[in-house]
Amino acid sequence: MEQPLRLGAVAYDPKAVTIWELARDFFRSRPLPLDFVLFSNYESQVDAHFDGFIEIAWNTPVAWVKAQSRANGTARALAMRDVDVAFTSKLIARSDSGVSSPSDLEGKTVAIGSRDSAQAAILPVHYFAQAGMAEGRDYTGLRFDLDVGKHGDTGTSELEVVKAVSDGRAAAGVVGDATWAKLLSEKGVDGNRVKAVWTSPPFHHCNFTALPSLSAERAQAFVDGLMAMDYADPLARTLMDLEGLKKWVAGSTERYADLADAMRAQGMIP
Amino acid sequence: MNPPSEVEVGDLDLTSGLLLLLNRALDQAKPGDEVVVTGTDASLIHDLPAWCRISGHEYSGSTAGEAGRTRHRIRRGEAERLNLPGRVEWGAPLTLRGGKEADTRDWFVGRSAAIPEAADPSTGFAPRGGMVERGAPAYPFTLTERDRVWAAEVADLYEQATANQWDASRDVAWDRRGDVPRELEQAVCQVMTFLVENEFSALYVPAKFVPRIHPHFQEVVMFLATQIVDEARHVEAFTKRALLGGGGIQYSVASTQLSLKSLMDQEEFTQASFLLSVLGEGTFLDLLRFIETNAPDPVTAEVVRRARVDEARHVNFGTAHVRYFLRGNPNHAEELMRAARARRETLQTIAAPSPLVQDALAVLAARSLSPGAIRSGVSAVKGLMGEMHENRVKRLVSAGFTPDQSEELSTMHTPNFM
Repeated sequence: MEQPLRLGAVAYDPKAVTIWELARDFFRSRPLPLDFVLFSNYESQVDAHFDGFIEIAWNTPVAWVKAQSRANGTARALAMRDVDVAFTSKLIARSDSGVSSPSDLEGKTVAIGSRDSAQAAILPVHYFAQAGMAEGRDYTGLRFDLDVGKHGDTGTSELEVVKAVSDGRAAAGVVGDATWAKLLSEKGVDGNRVKAVWTSPPFHHCNFTALPSLSAERAQAFVDGLMAMDYADPLARTLMDLEGLKKWVAGSTERYADLADAMRAQGMIP
Repeated sequence: MNPPSEVEVGDLDLTSGLLLLLNRALDQAKPGDEVVVTGTDASLIHDLPAWCRISGHEYSGSTAGEAGRTRHRIRRGEAERLNLPGRVEWGAPLTLRGGKEADTRDWFVGRSAAIPEAADPSTGFAPRGGMVERGAPAYPFTLTERDRVWAAEVADLYEQATANQWDASRDVAWDRRGDVPRELEQAVCQVMTFLVENEFSALYVPAKFVPRIHPHFQEVVMFLATQIVDEARHVEAFTKRALLGGGGIQYSVASTQLSLKSLMDQEEFTQASFLLSVLGEGTFLDLLRFIETNAPDPVTAEVVRRARVDEARHVNFGTAHVRYFLRGNPNHAEELMRAARARRETLQTIAAPSPLVQDALAVLAARSLSPGAIRSGVSAVKGLMGEMHENRVKRLVSAGFTPDQSEELSTMHTPNFM
């Protein structure tokens, strides 16, 4: 049998172990089996990827941009979840704050998530700056730099943002649309008091990143395995529910340009 | 593909009920169908696309209309909210008996009517006739074959059981014991002690099997639940009668414990039901009638009479189940014969009923310790044994055994009665 494909993922939650064990079980009956390594943060994972310790990295958009920058544009995005397509950030505001768009943020306090989260900090701050609203100059940022290194995966900073807006410590705040939609559907937020008022341009979120050293055959065998997961199959469904997707889709290197610009402007990549 | 379905949500947002209405429409739609949500909440333009994205649907845009009403177009994705194998159809209604009563005997209607020949352990506690989502865990039910649990008359017996419950604290005329001579009171206490230990076995044995029975045989589970409650009440009533005159709980003998333990050790429901209910409780009907006839006081007579009515139902269920199990299958009769023979082997050291119980029954029949009375008391107990044998044979024949098998089975039955 061929050497199993070694995949890297970040243990942002104990359930990461369950998810990747399920994936390994699923791939056991496939032509190319899978093994995985868990990292405590994305920076270590990107390093390990370039060191050749892992063949594929399950990367956040921030980790992808860092990897792509280091690879001089030769990295490939093999696949992603359906929920990684056209991700957006939301500006949420208290109903009584007078904020109904980014241009209303002047003089306000804005709750912002972890500094390495694309959706809860890097991108919205970048888009606001493009609209002429700079943090520290036009509005005051109330920052929640939680779980730095996990690029916002844990969602804890976004929950703090929603809390700060709900209880009036901030007039407005920024969150990813996935967290926001989950809070709305689980009624974890008072919809009368806090409303979404602005949506960012769409960007792609996580992807399975490959470097040129990975053979096309091994990459294809991995992608074929993902695509064979059926949400109607109870075993695959468990994994997919835990990872928050209904189906895997082909990767795309588009829609990361704004994030790369934002990270460059914020000094995160050269 | 169907024409778009329209969902009017007024001023609802995602936290106040919009999703309930939207999900109902999406559940009815097919993948690719369009659902149009019309509402006035301004945040929907931000919230619906986000919700669609994480829920596997496609938000395809909005059109502003009059009076702040916006139409949001959603294309249903492929993923099902629940992983169901199909949809339930509207069934047949339950007909009320006499226009008033929802009787269990009448509830075999629609999808719930089909009693499966082999039940599927992965349906868990989901009721018979329902649709179960895929991916549920398998339960450790081992009694999944209809032949191994079912009785044709079970719903009827369940109705009888629920209609005939009684309260051992208040329904018995406990204050009517009157004066009972000490030797007779002592005999009553010894008999009550024996009854309590036997009733414990009649409670524990069915209780042991309930968690093993697949819930799609729910009438059997429900009937056994009444049997367990009945036995608890008998334990209660017989204990109270023993305590009533001050004599209290008396002696237990090893042979009784051995006999009852051999019932607890049964691992097959049909065999246990046969040995306990048909043979054991069946024999008990004659014993309880004997005690009632010879009771020195009305309280003793009443508690054994009430218990006998309940026991008759348990015997009827056991007999009905064995009849169902045996119908047209000689191998099944042989299986039960083997179980009875194996129990006989286990109990070979027991040659006679507990001497203490035998003596107590004779004293009750004698009504005094005078030699003449004792002679007739001892003779009455001998007569009881003969009667027990004859009635057991009749019950076994009615359960479906041949007369020869019935004779052999009755003769092998434990001298301990139960």
